[in-house]
Amino acid sequence: MSNTLLKIESVCKIYPGNVLALNNVNINVNNNEIIAILGPSGSGKSTLIRTILGLTSLNKGNIYFRTKNYKDKNFNVIRNSIATIYQNFNLVSRSSIIKNIILGDIAKVSSWRVLFNAWPKEAQDKAIDIIEEVGLKDIDYNKRVENLSGGQQQRVGIARALIGSPDIILADEPVSSLDPQTAKDILNLIRETAKKNKISVLCSLHQIDFAKTFADRIIGMKEGNILFDKPAKNILKFDLNKLYK
Amino acid sequence: MLADSKKLKPPFNYKTIIFVLLIFFILIFSAQRVGIPNIVDRLYEVSLDIIGVKETSRISDGLSRIANEMWPPVIETKKDINLILNFDSSNLPFYSFIENQKVELYETNLETLELESREEEILFLVEPFGYLKVVLIKVIESIEIAFWASFISLIISIPLAYYSAKNYSPNKTIYYLSRSIVSGLRAIPELISVLFMVLAFGFGPAAGIMALGLHSAGFLGKFFAEDIENADQGPQDALKALGSSRWRILKEAVLPQVMPQYVAYILYILDRNLRMATVIGLVGGGGIGQELKGRFDLFEYGHVTTIILVIFIVVFIFDQISAKLRNKLIGNSS
Repeated sequence: MSNTLLKIESVCKIYPGNVLALNNVNINVNNNEIIAILGPSGSGKSTLIRTILGLTSLNKGNIYFRTKNYKDKNFNVIRNSIATIYQNFNLVSRSSIIKNIILGDIAKVSSWRVLFNAWPKEAQDKAIDIIEEVGLKDIDYNKRVENLSGGQQQRVGIARALIGSPDIILADEPVSSLDPQTAKDILNLIRETAKKNKISVLCSLHQIDFAKTFADRIIGMKEGNILFDKPAKNILKFDLNKLYK
Repeated sequence: MLADSKKLKPPFNYKTIIFVLLIFFILIFSAQRVGIPNIVDRLYEVSLDIIGVKETSRISDGLSRIANEMWPPVIETKKDINLILNFDSSNLPFYSFIENQKVELYETNLETLELESREEEILFLVEPFGYLKVVLIKVIESIEIAFWASFISLIISIPLAYYSAKNYSPNKTIYYLSRSIVSGLRAIPELISVLFMVLAFGFGPAAGIMALGLHSAGFLGKFFAEDIENADQGPQDALKALGSSRWRILKEAVLPQVMPQYVAYILYILDRNLRMATVIGLVGGGGIGQELKGRFDLFEYGHVTTIILVIFIVVFIFDQISAKLRNKLIGNSS
């Protein structure tokens, strides 16, 4: 069996008004690999993540998860293996911490349990374990998410991503609304938990120095094209100049 | 010279002046038709009356006549015991007594063919709070009408809201269909629809409940749908990416966000239905309104005062309770 987890093959995305967001993009994400995507605003990072999530349709190309094609009807099976961390956290702000985390498992719970709020005991136990893992154990788990700081909210977001035991986590600029120290802590947390649980990560970032310490591999994107795709330690100043000039 | 696009726009131009003049002439024309000069004349008259220049005015005459008859409010009932079926003087109703009263009766003398008066002693059963009791029972019926109408409107509006929210409606046909049902329900005032409901359900509370329920379902459906459309997209995207179905997203990512507004809307509809439930009786919808209309038609203004005071107190108390309830349900504590 090959080591490839996610294969993005010649993907094109054109938004209305002939805006080319992704131009013939090819990326291979391997098992247990952490990848950062760098690039200026409007380079197509978010579009790439949205297409992998199935929130945006493709104009051309294929995406394979292991050997399954996205276009097949087993898309929901693929979704169960993918988790996401968002820039604005995308938490249900008026729900509690533990509820938000359990929601990460929502697709696997039966309808009547969702309807009557009767979440399975295992999901609750798992959520409590994960809350401790992401460093929130000193907080009242029934506190509403809207009363937490940005860093704490992102920790809840990470916990929600982890509860479904995904194979890959997609992170769309997960630290761009946080202060530098918190950002560093959050990226460390993502890296540690991913390595520990053998999860691949595809993360778009703005900060070059963060990307270098966080990722195994860095992909540079500009105007919908991939400019470089190298191991983090091999990134040269020349590459970054190409990206931001 | 600066081009127009670079200059600050003037506060008004000739179009504004023409528009204002047009509105002014339309208002003058319309005022004649609807009798605004009449209102001005009467108010002028009554102000002269108040400062003592003129002795009478139509407004003060009319209002003071009614006001004299309206006070004091009537809270007792007095019934001739000869008119009560199977009257048992040893078993009187709670807190009531029998009063002996002289009554002047008029009769035509068949021999002289003249109207003669004679005094007769009649026994009356007096219940000091009898009428208050009648009013309270009728008010409770109105409150029940309001609650049931609000409950029915909630049940009807939930599916309507789902299908008339643009982002959840399965297709455009269903969207426009449910939108038009929502506006249709809102477009017919309760006082009109109750007339039809009386034909369908007969006089009484059932007609009132259906009329109020359908009308307020139009409001709730619209309010609910608009909040679903405007809810924060982020959490919905997150659940969608997790493979969640639409109703699960609605329940877990939308409902918690819109719940505070929904509680406020439901309390508003309840409050509104309570006020309307008193009115709807006027046209046969049951409750205190029916009693009010009856007493008004019999010129029994003392009874009318009692009814109005009780309605006022009930609405006031409900207002206080709903404010407390709202704070409790949608307060910021977790």
